[in-house]
Amino acid sequence: MGKFLLLAFRNVFRNRRRTVMTLLMVGGGVAGLLLVGGFFAFMFRGLRESTIHDGLGHIQIFTAEHFRRDEVHVLDTGIGDWRQVAASVRSGSHVRGVAPRIEFYGMLSNGVKSSVFMGSAVDPDAERNMGFSPRMAAGRDLGGNSNGEVEALIGTGVARSMSVKVGDGLTILAVTADGALNGIDVQIVGIVNTGFKEVDDRYLRITLPSAQRLLASDRVTNLVVGLDATENTDKAAAELAPRLRGLPQQMVLKKWIDLAAYYKQVRTLFSGIFLFLGVIVFFMVLMASVNTLLMTMFERTREIGTMLAMGTPRKWIVALFMLEATLTGILGAVAGVAGGNVLGMLLNSLGLHLPPPPGTTVDMHFRVLHVPSLMIGSSLLVVVSLALASILPAIRASRLQIAEALAHV
Amino acid sequence: MVLPTLLTEQSNALERDGPMDARHELVGVEDVSRKFPLDHSDVTALDHASLRVSAGEFLAIAGPSGSGKSTLLNLIGCIDKPTSGRILLDGVDTSKLSPAHMTALRREKIGFVFQTFNLIPVFTASENVEFPLLVQGVEPRERRSRVAEALEGVGLAARANHRPDLLSGGERQRVAVARAIVHRPSLVLADEPTANLDTRNATQLIDLMRDLNRTLGLTFIFSTHDQRLLEHTPRIVRLCDGQVVSDTSAEGGRHGQVLASCVS
Repeated sequence: MGKFLLLAFRNVFRNRRRTVMTLLMVGGGVAGLLLVGGFFAFMFRGLRESTIHDGLGHIQIFTAEHFRRDEVHVLDTGIGDWRQVAASVRSGSHVRGVAPRIEFYGMLSNGVKSSVFMGSAVDPDAERNMGFSPRMAAGRDLGGNSNGEVEALIGTGVARSMSVKVGDGLTILAVTADGALNGIDVQIVGIVNTGFKEVDDRYLRITLPSAQRLLASDRVTNLVVGLDATENTDKAAAELAPRLRGLPQQMVLKKWIDLAAYYKQVRTLFSGIFLFLGVIVFFMVLMASVNTLLMTMFERTREIGTMLAMGTPRKWIVALFMLEATLTGILGAVAGVAGGNVLGMLLNSLGLHLPPPPGTTVDMHFRVLHVPSLMIGSSLLVVVSLALASILPAIRASRLQIAEALAHV
Repeated sequence: MVLPTLLTEQSNALERDGPMDARHELVGVEDVSRKFPLDHSDVTALDHASLRVSAGEFLAIAGPSGSGKSTLLNLIGCIDKPTSGRILLDGVDTSKLSPAHMTALRREKIGFVFQTFNLIPVFTASENVEFPLLVQGVEPRERRSRVAEALEGVGLAARANHRPDLLSGGERQRVAVARAIVHRPSLVLADEPTANLDTRNATQLIDLMRDLNRTLGLTFIFSTHDQRLLEHTPRIVRLCDGQVVSDTSAEGGRHGQVLASCVS
């Protein structure tokens, strides 16, 4: 076996120029997949973390009735004794903090113009403790240097459509838990750019006490849990779920991935694109390799005939060709992984930026992550491609007529 | 030329069993024809040829290009099948064997030497010689020992680690001979083994083959149209247009007459 492997290995380097070309092709395919996949991985990670830190959190806790709730009376199904629930959750391992939230809807008005909003009421200190800070386009976050006014953050789209700025006043109208219409005046202390135009056009954030006063309820719609690392979400969820049992209200725990519909859509779309690229690379390597290996077989016809004449089993010839192709694939994969990583580092060092993706308003960093699973997957892809590509030439070589092969010039 | 010591067992067997046993019929070619299809007709490469070769013989198949020498060697060597007639190797009708059995027969009983050496270019001399043993599944230590003896036998022990492109034509062909005998075959077939060698190397190669034939009782059948070699060959089978036109076991001078009459 050792000699056979040695023969295959030396045959790989027999025609060095051709081998270099093959390795460039295979390595280029792997490097390309690593760069694209590494960039996608960076995008996924960035989107995941921004989704979480823009307010989604790692875990959210609702009442079981929340998902069957009446859209108008948002707090009917809210968490009553939310402080007790929060205290129970806060002591969990990996838990960095717990923040109460009220998600509500209503109208904004400045006396001249009105606009619909999708609001959230937060405890600014609790949010900050978990590292959840809104991306400020102007002004400041809630909770700092308050002069007694009810503070509010609005989205850039709201500010633009209502022609308001930091320091201006607005009136918020919403339906209370009793079904009555209520309103409060707020002062705009900051303007937020979430990166998503649709969100910015409806964004409103006020403090929790203000919202509870507006909605005439002490309840909250949900508790947002921040963890020390996103990778610990499953572990933390498994630990917290039993703690929620036995409470007066039946609770439901949702992980961030269950709530991040946009993230999942983006990931599905780009995974599809990456799969398509993988298929292209697979066929590119397959077709080019079949041609190269057929040429190799043709050049070595007499040698194969000699080996067959000496009593070499035909399956050995098949194995030899497949082994050579597999070795070429492995070498190409190694070259591709090395090249892809070096190119990735080079591109990362350039600090490139890309224009905002569709539906967003913020420039995107161009960065390539070095993902071990991607390196293994891409390498396997080209090794399998080459092994498959070698089947036809290998079978043709093994079926050569010995007398004709020996007479081959 | 250093005589080989690798085939000690074979040599001992020859001495033990005596010359009568060594002279049993090894190859039988019985009314064999081989036709190759060409466009809409057949080309007859071998035409009802018959031949018997005893174990231990040193036999030359002579004839001009296209006379059927290589075809006959291919048929005897189990790398082709006759269109009609039969080939017997050690009493076995090879024309009835399955491809797998023919492969096994070639592996076990036959050694090949080719006109263009046909060494594996990426292997060293010793690795080339080792290859038939590798195919036979001989264990590594035994392989190393037999390869060393075979290379010493052909006088190339010092060139064992050289690749074919660093060897002269004569050296390459001696490596090919070592490769052909290393697995102790009953029969060595050599197709125009001296065609690519100069006179000195050609003579040395034939001397080497003859030494192996005499010392170890190895049966050699080789094709040639080299008059220099035929003068030292005890038996010559002459082919013309695929037919055996003469089969002589005589002295060098008479072979010359036979060839001359065939040419005329």
